[in-house]
Amino acid sequence: MFKLLKEVFRTGNVTVRYPFAPLPASPNFRGKPQYDPERCIACAACTIACPANALSMETDTAAGKRTWQLCFGRCVFCGRCEEVCPTGAIALSPEYELAVMDRADLYQTAEFRLASCRVCDTPFVPKKEVDYVIALLVHAGLPEAEAERRRAVVETCPACKRKNDVPRVGSLGPLHQMGMIP
Amino acid sequence: MNAAQPVTATASPESEREQATRLKRTLLHDIRRSVYVFRIDSGGCNACDIEIFAALTPVFDVERFGIKVVPSPRHADVILCTGAMTRAMRLPALRAFDAAPDPKIVIAYGACGCTGGIFHDLYCVWGGIDKIIPVDVYIPGCPPTPAATIYGFALGLGLLDQKLKATHHVEAEGEQVTVTHPRIPYGLRIALEREARRMAGYRQGREIVENFFILMEQDDGAPIRERIADFLARENDPRLAEIVHRLEEICARGNGGTDQ
Repeated sequence: MFKLLKEVFRTGNVTVRYPFAPLPASPNFRGKPQYDPERCIACAACTIACPANALSMETDTAAGKRTWQLCFGRCVFCGRCEEVCPTGAIALSPEYELAVMDRADLYQTAEFRLASCRVCDTPFVPKKEVDYVIALLVHAGLPEAEAERRRAVVETCPACKRKNDVPRVGSLGPLHQMGMIP
Repeated sequence: MNAAQPVTATASPESEREQATRLKRTLLHDIRRSVYVFRIDSGGCNACDIEIFAALTPVFDVERFGIKVVPSPRHADVILCTGAMTRAMRLPALRAFDAAPDPKIVIAYGACGCTGGIFHDLYCVWGGIDKIIPVDVYIPGCPPTPAATIYGFALGLGLLDQKLKATHHVEAEGEQVTVTHPRIPYGLRIALEREARRMAGYRQGREIVENFFILMEQDDGAPIRERIADFLARENDPRLAEIVHRLEEICARGNGGTDQ
């Protein structure tokens, strides 16, 4: 009996005081993905990387907007979104108190406007993404005027680009003579 | 659910009786004793079950709140469901749910329990507990830590407030994203990020390279080599030192080469 008591006092109290006192997560703990919509360019890289499809994006060309959505209920906290995010808009935080009473509270959404194609006037790319691409070109050493000139290329949808290419390719002469097709 | 009823192929959650809903509201007030939990594993991978077990160990010790795991649904006040609700577990889960006396609280545990998680679109799962039985509390996590489990229980029993709320952001006029680390040449930044991730993995690699960028951008007069040596002495980690030296090499090459 004395031996047991001695052991009890030697060990002390191991139980954490958690709900009454905060319990800090260990370093490198992967908790709630912290999303900063102001830094997001709606490029959809995270939605492609997400293995559980917790992240999803819907493009509504009629309304000219793209909606980003994160469902915490489906997230497996792998951090792939953090890996692929080019602007650092999403990063896992040590936050783990995510339980909810209402399923709707598990969703985080953000809405972005789309820029229209310069030729056919159909919305197809997020405006913020275009701005970011131009800023990146300037950062990579392109003169500002040249980067702005390229905005016209970035703001043309792939279908219109193909259409524009047809007369240019035609003016090059027969393709088989140039060795481009056998 | 009535046993004579045919099993339909659609996911229609069993509705609660109104009386049960009314009783549930007063359950927490009237209970005045321990909460008995019955655990249903409806097709989980056991990670959630291990974390539930961890919550019962002396370190987290949920039994100090009177939360006790019982072996029969007939004793249960709380039904704790883990797993994505596989096709095969639908009827056993429904039977256990019906066997528990009203009022009862159902907790969907883990990413699979909440929405089906990574298995949400598999052919053999229903994708979440709430497709089959009405759920009161969702505890996300893959798996939820014991602390998150305690928080979920405290939320379900009305002891703590919910922290997570649904948010919706609408892009403001003129919202723009600036390039990160504008003082570091673009090509060099990419080369450094790649090398750090190659050596340390995507998560720690990113962390290391971000710290390295901060060191590069600091302007306190001291040459960069001294700053890096200081940083490494502070961290005292040979693995980190190896990676940082490698990044330094790339910087030296980058500065002498094409990049600014």
